[in-house]
Amino acid sequence: MKKIKIIFLSLVIGTGAIMLIEGCAATQAIADKSGAALWGENCIRCHNTPSPADFSDAQWETIGMHMRLRASLTKDETSKIVAFLQTGN
Amino acid sequence: MKKPITLLATGLLLMLSNGYSQGTASPDEKETAPKAISDAPGNTKFLLTGAAWADFYYDKDQEVKYNFNSYGFAPVFLWKLSDKLFFEGEMEISDGNFELEFAKLSYSLNKYMTFGVGRMLTPFGAFGERWEPAFVQRFPNSHLKGDDQYIPGENHLDWGAILGIDLRGGIPLGSSKMNYALYVSNGPSLDNTTGMIDYENLNDNNSNKGVGGRIGFLPLSNSSLEIGFSGETGIAGNQEDSVYVMNGEYRDYSKVKATAIAVDLNYAKAIPSIKSIIGIRGQFNSLSVDKADYAMDDSTFYPAFDNTFKNYFVQFSFRPGMSDNAFLKNVELLFRYNSLEAPADAPWGPKDKNGKGGAVTRTDIGLSYWLSWRTGIRLAYESTTLPDDEKSNQLLVRFVMGF
Ligand code: HEC
Repeated sequence: MKKIKIIFLSLVIGTGAIMLIEGCAATQAIADKSGAALWGENCIRCHNTPSPADFSDAQWETIGMHMRLRASLTKDETSKIVAFLQTGN
Repeated sequence: MKKPITLLATGLLLMLSNGYSQGTASPDEKETAPKAISDAPGNTKFLLTGAAWADFYYDKDQEVKYNFNSYGFAPVFLWKLSDKLFFEGEMEISDGNFELEFAKLSYSLNKYMTFGVGRMLTPFGAFGERWEPAFVQRFPNSHLKGDDQYIPGENHLDWGAILGIDLRGGIPLGSSKMNYALYVSNGPSLDNTTGMIDYENLNDNNSNKGVGGRIGFLPLSNSSLEIGFSGETGIAGNQEDSVYVMNGEYRDYSKVKATAIAVDLNYAKAIPSIKSIIGIRGQFNSLSVDKADYAMDDSTFYPAFDNTFKNYFVQFSFRPGMSDNAFLKNVELLFRYNSLEAPADAPWGPKDKNGKGGAVTRTDIGLSYWLSWRTGIRLAYESTTLPDDEKSNQLLVRFVMGF
């Protein structure tokens, strides 16, 4: 039980610290973000960010749908990211 | 049992037909929608992707000190059938075994919700569904899990891939967002000779289904931080032959339930001022099985104990990915701390000097060199300490090729 308390305490402190550091950054509504910004912020979360040149337009469409499911993104976020990747390749 | 399946199948068929017409036909083409499908070349988009890996270890305490000990190849097949319909399937061929890891059909119901059916990576915690693939996991191996090295089960504390349905999606909340994945599966099954749980049930052992899910919060506007809370519960005992008789005594396992919770955290951020990308991730799991006397051998029931198993890991990564130095920018430094804690009074599991169940801990220091965004070589030096203070060390090397 003691260990669990320590874990949760570190979780709370860690999250608090990150929020504090990040708190200084400007906030922007997710819905107002561009495809490029969403790509930069979301595609780095689990793995290295692939570059737009790595896949073709059609492949990005398929990948977009796959990542929408894996990362639980909304449809709008996904469409913007895919559109950015397709213009950038 | 038959009714829900018929219902599910009918629902799915309806959705499928709906998906095709919405995905491919414009309003004036609706009448001829089925023809439009076959006449619409290029509508279905296919991608063959996946990863392969080869492992090597050095362990001075083992008989074979140097060993090319493992390899694997896991092709992933993706089909985007329409704007709403999607199929993903993965086969994994590793160490001489062949397994269909997942085969899942998804149907997008609206902007914020997708329905899925089939065999799927369990949306419980973040590791199994999001961090497990060889190129996503930065270390050459997984964190410390409840595998058969320490306990008599393979899948205890491992939510693997379930057969069932799920609903998932993301919800924007101004400058924050959240996401959810809720599922119904065949649920856990209990081994009444050990008290171990298996979640990968392709045939249910009782008509009670496992229900669970994960809710994730991304409080920061740049989505760099995500915290997830997961839970799952279900009756694990067998329905048929649930009563076990031994020397005139009997026990009924039909009501034994397994309940699990998990908390996961992920933070990933490119920090231009230090030209680096930092990552923090971790997950805590706890799995509790209702108290029961297990039929450990042919003559006695082992008295009930608090059957709660826990494990957690925290992992840090640092990569000077924006450095001007061509070598340095591909290097990633890794650190991971793992703990696996068995029930104190269980007959199995790692024991301390007094014979009580205790924690195995492992500290991993690693280095990754990336050749592309998902191909590279990883090294890790891992030091394990058993509850009786016995220590062991291993050096692991893995080549990962993402394609
Ligand atoms: C929540 C974690 C997560 C996030 C966020 C994420 N990915 Fe992935 N990604 C994965 C996983 C896991 C796989 C491996 C999938 C598999 O093996 O089924 C993957 C695989 C891929 C692949 C290989 C092809 C494929 O579809 O399997 C590409 C390309 C990719 N991701 C691009 C992206 C892009 C672009 C984004 C940003 C929109 C993104 N990812 C965000 C987890 C994530």
